[in-house]
Amino acid sequence: MLDLIIRNITNRKIRSALTICGIALGIFAVIVMGAMSENFHQTFERSMSVTSDKIRVFSESGVFGGGLTDDKVSDVLRVAGVKDAYGLLMTTFDEDKMGMTGKQILGVPPEKSSVALYPVELKSGRFLNPGDSYSVVVGNNIKREYNLQVGSKFEIHDKYFTVVGILDYTGSIFDNAVIIPLETAQDLYNVGNSVSYIFAVPDERVDAEMLSKRIELSVKGTSTLSPGELEVQAEQSFMIFSVITISSGLLAAIIGGLCVMNTMLMSVTERTREFGILKAIGAETRDILLLTLGEASFMGFLGGILGIIVGIGAVQIMNAWLATTRIVLFLITPRLLIIAMFFALLIGALSGLYPAYRASKMSPMEALKHA
Amino acid sequence: MPDINSGNKGQKIIMRVENLSKTYMQGKIPVHALRCACITVRRGELLAIMGPSGSGKSTLLALIGTLEKATDGKVILDGIDLTSVPEKLLPGVRREKIGFIFQHYNLIPTLSALENVELAMRFSRIPKKERKERAKTLLEDLGLGDRLNHKPTELSGGEQQRVSIARALANKPALILADEPTGEVDSKTRDSIVKVFKELSRKGQTILVVTHDPEVAKECSRVLRITDGMIKDN
Repeated sequence: MLDLIIRNITNRKIRSALTICGIALGIFAVIVMGAMSENFHQTFERSMSVTSDKIRVFSESGVFGGGLTDDKVSDVLRVAGVKDAYGLLMTTFDEDKMGMTGKQILGVPPEKSSVALYPVELKSGRFLNPGDSYSVVVGNNIKREYNLQVGSKFEIHDKYFTVVGILDYTGSIFDNAVIIPLETAQDLYNVGNSVSYIFAVPDERVDAEMLSKRIELSVKGTSTLSPGELEVQAEQSFMIFSVITISSGLLAAIIGGLCVMNTMLMSVTERTREFGILKAIGAETRDILLLTLGEASFMGFLGGILGIIVGIGAVQIMNAWLATTRIVLFLITPRLLIIAMFFALLIGALSGLYPAYRASKMSPMEALKHA
Repeated sequence: MPDINSGNKGQKIIMRVENLSKTYMQGKIPVHALRCACITVRRGELLAIMGPSGSGKSTLLALIGTLEKATDGKVILDGIDLTSVPEKLLPGVRREKIGFIFQHYNLIPTLSALENVELAMRFSRIPKKERKERAKTLLEDLGLGDRLNHKPTELSGGEQQRVSIARALANKPALILADEPTGEVDSKTRDSIVKVFKELSRKGQTILVVTHDPEVAKECSRVLRITDGMIKDN
């Protein structure tokens, strides 16, 4: 039956090509939007995995509300079940680009730099040591962008820092992190002894969720985000982002599907007599269904392949172009390709369903009378 | 009711049409396309059905061919009452018991002569190799050995009709129904088609031919005439 399906498609070359292009355009949009979502998802997953053991303690008025100072660290440390606590100052590296590049300055107490970043490992050099002031540990993307090595000089906010360590590639936010001693960061950005948030590390066998609530109750003027809550919050943002990106792709793909339906309806109407002949010579309803549905699905399949190829090409070109600004925006994953292909087939098949039903339900006599 | 006696005395009866009627509704007005037709056909008969346009010839063929449902009556072909076969099983009956030949050949334009003949066997789930061989033999027997891979548009009217005869024969049917098979061809081609029918009939193939052409009817073993939906004479 496949030979008949292919023949019917190739017999109407221009129309089939236009239909396939319609689907390909939709799948292209799914791939591009999906790749953006996948990249966001991967960064999120990896970021979660490297910070999942810590409770974040914020000022009651939020991370941007201010009011959280180093003093609160000792208050947090006093809460039973807290193994360790330290403040971090987080700010954007490139203020002129409104933080769009994702690069962040992370002020960390030097002696805590290795635990704050755990399990991220060093590619070369060392973490910050007590006594360091104008030393910096940089993430892998920063190293590549500025061509840094251990010992290189690196300008931050008009001050020169010495690179003492370079982090391994993680695929997380730490690839774009510039880690400097907390006090230096506070001086550099003139924020006194303020910190953005405090990392509280729970003791072993202490439930992080319970401890999170305990900190909130014990330390006045703070709110906490447990690993669980953070995950839920991040999942929600991720979902919203995904719905926006994927739905725009899906919309394009649905338009492609309508294109197939239109073509198939035209084709079925034109071939009414042909279906009559097929029925007269003994074709079963399922044969007619298979023929028309197969045709629509095969066009969906071809459109899917074309859309995926063009989508991958476009994503690679865009990634290569964005690489000059060190932004990675798209990520093609096997999961995305499977979803896109499945969607192309689904659209093809669904769009062919009604035309196929119409063709299969024709009375053979009526169909044979059709001009 | 007029009962038309069978020809080919001594041969086994292959089809019996009993009180077959078809009434269409044109709005609220009933139109009797066929009234109580009774025919008995013996194996190997070449039977012509003649009559003016709109007399019910094609309706009779469509009812026997299970392309339409009868209002009343029975068609018993090769021991099976076609009028009581459930809708779902009718394609199987059409495949195995009936072969159609149409005035306009009705070949699939995108398929070659060989593929058009093979197509009929495809739906019977005959293995590819077997159906190809049979299609080739049929076309060669009909003098189209050198036209196997030609598309219908590359064939003459006579050649197209011979492809359609081969397609009708593909599943070795009990009965071939030919609706004006010579209506679109010249007299020379007509004669060659009639010759093929006569040869098939001689070999035991039963054929019902609806025709306007007295020259075709003359060559048939029996002629039935239909007027106003009624079979008038023999």
